[in-house]
Amino acid sequence: MDANTIIDSLSGQFPDDIYDTDVESGIRILAKVKPENVVEVCRYLKEDLSFDHLGCEFGVDYPDRNEIEVVYLISSYDHPVVLTLKAILPRDNPEIESVVPVYWNANWYERETYELFGVKYINHPDLRQLVLPEEMLGEWPLRKDYKGFPNKTAKNLV
Amino acid sequence: MLEEKVGPSEMIVHIGPQHPMLPGPFRLNARLRGETVVDSEVEMGWIHKGIEKILENKTYLQGITIVDRICYLAALSNEEAYVGCVEKLAGIEVPERSQYIRVIVEELSRLQSHLLGMGEYASFVGFVSMFMYTIKEREDVLSLLDSITGARITHSFLRFGGVKDDIPPGFRDDVKRVFPNVRKAIDSYEDMYSTDSIYRARTVDVGVLTADVAKDLGVSGPPLRATGVPFDIRKDEPYLVYEDLDFKVCTETAGDVYARIQVRLDEMRESMYIIEQCLDQMPEGPLFAEDTPYGKRSPVMRIPAGEVYHRVEDPRGEMGFYMVSDGSDKPYRVKIRGPVYPTLQTLPPLLKGVKVADIVAIAGSMDTCTSEVDR
Repeated sequence: MDANTIIDSLSGQFPDDIYDTDVESGIRILAKVKPENVVEVCRYLKEDLSFDHLGCEFGVDYPDRNEIEVVYLISSYDHPVVLTLKAILPRDNPEIESVVPVYWNANWYERETYELFGVKYINHPDLRQLVLPEEMLGEWPLRKDYKGFPNKTAKNLV
Repeated sequence: MLEEKVGPSEMIVHIGPQHPMLPGPFRLNARLRGETVVDSEVEMGWIHKGIEKILENKTYLQGITIVDRICYLAALSNEEAYVGCVEKLAGIEVPERSQYIRVIVEELSRLQSHLLGMGEYASFVGFVSMFMYTIKEREDVLSLLDSITGARITHSFLRFGGVKDDIPPGFRDDVKRVFPNVRKAIDSYEDMYSTDSIYRARTVDVGVLTADVAKDLGVSGPPLRATGVPFDIRKDEPYLVYEDLDFKVCTETAGDVYARIQVRLDEMRESMYIIEQCLDQMPEGPLFAEDTPYGKRSPVMRIPAGEVYHRVEDPRGEMGFYMVSDGSDKPYRVKIRGPVYPTLQTLPPLLKGVKVADIVAIAGSMDTCTSEVDR
């Protein structure tokens, strides 16, 4: 399946939810999605456009825009196209629906994004810390305004 | 959260974080009924190094030494993914000779990783002497790597737009001396594996992963190819000069533990074949493009703002870096997408209903690298 077909089909199906689409190259496409409908978009991608697995999911912090981006890299075993899907959340209260019902392996990625960025996933089956010690929960160390790097982090991990 | 579910005549066994089966510290909590695993969960974070945060605070060149430490067995493919991101963002061309050298070192790295992984795995299922055999061949392969890169495990060899050094004089002769022995050794491992009845009893039809389930769980690398899915980034999304090289994607259909080891055995032969082709086809020429501002030493370099995802085929599967640059001399955000991360997540569903003795056989066959999962 080629990149333009995918973009056309996706924005045709979700005209209100998908915006700022871009074809970077034949194998990389970019789209932004409204956070409310990310699960429906993912379900459509998986069932109709053969994007059969989630490559990765993570956050990017933009304090000057007061936003946290949640980025989904969705890829397929049948074609080399990787779709970068972005949902933009407010930094003060980042909340988004979990995509675990669609992409099973989002489970750990979402737990990691939660503990490192403080993004709350609604309806996640088991939202708790993954790689950090429990007492560090709430510090959101991968946010840009985290003050504890490197000294506090090192102390906590010893 | 296994504790809440423990029923009558059930118990929880914690395996790890320190356990001979584990390639690094993670903990497997198994809920058992008698000798059967009812449910399990994986806990990790013992060697979380915060590499993503560290990379945000290092210049691009300093980052190369950091990404080496994600997983020492796959240091060169980590570097390739990282360096490839920067090259895509800055539009740096890599001369053909450098690309061939990169393929050579990355395939050597795959070879030594599989040799160690396989030997380690054999010792998990009680075949301890196999580990001694494979480690001997691995040492020869490491010497080859050492002669090019100057280090056995953490190489810091790739540079933006090239490589640190050319291959040394006499490297071809070393390859001609070492590879026949490795080939012979691999044949004998295959013989041992396929004829040893105890090994077969412990691996054939154990831990079967079907293609549909593996795809659903996002698995890549040898565990996926052992289910018959010919997914290999070197073929599907060729980087470097893999397009010009002749090699086949090794697959098996059974999807069990035995098939995963067989895929690794076949891949080692392919890797050696690739290296020999590279040595034959490699053109003469400079290591860096003539007019590039990025050379061997470019301590301060600013990369144009942008975002890119670059992925390569690691010994264990799809290794990808997502890099966000804001135009400064340090990356704004780097996300490391390791291949073992999804593979390790498959353990709980895969271990459901197996006997305790098979936990080690199944978990070990995934060739997990905890260092890379925790980062």
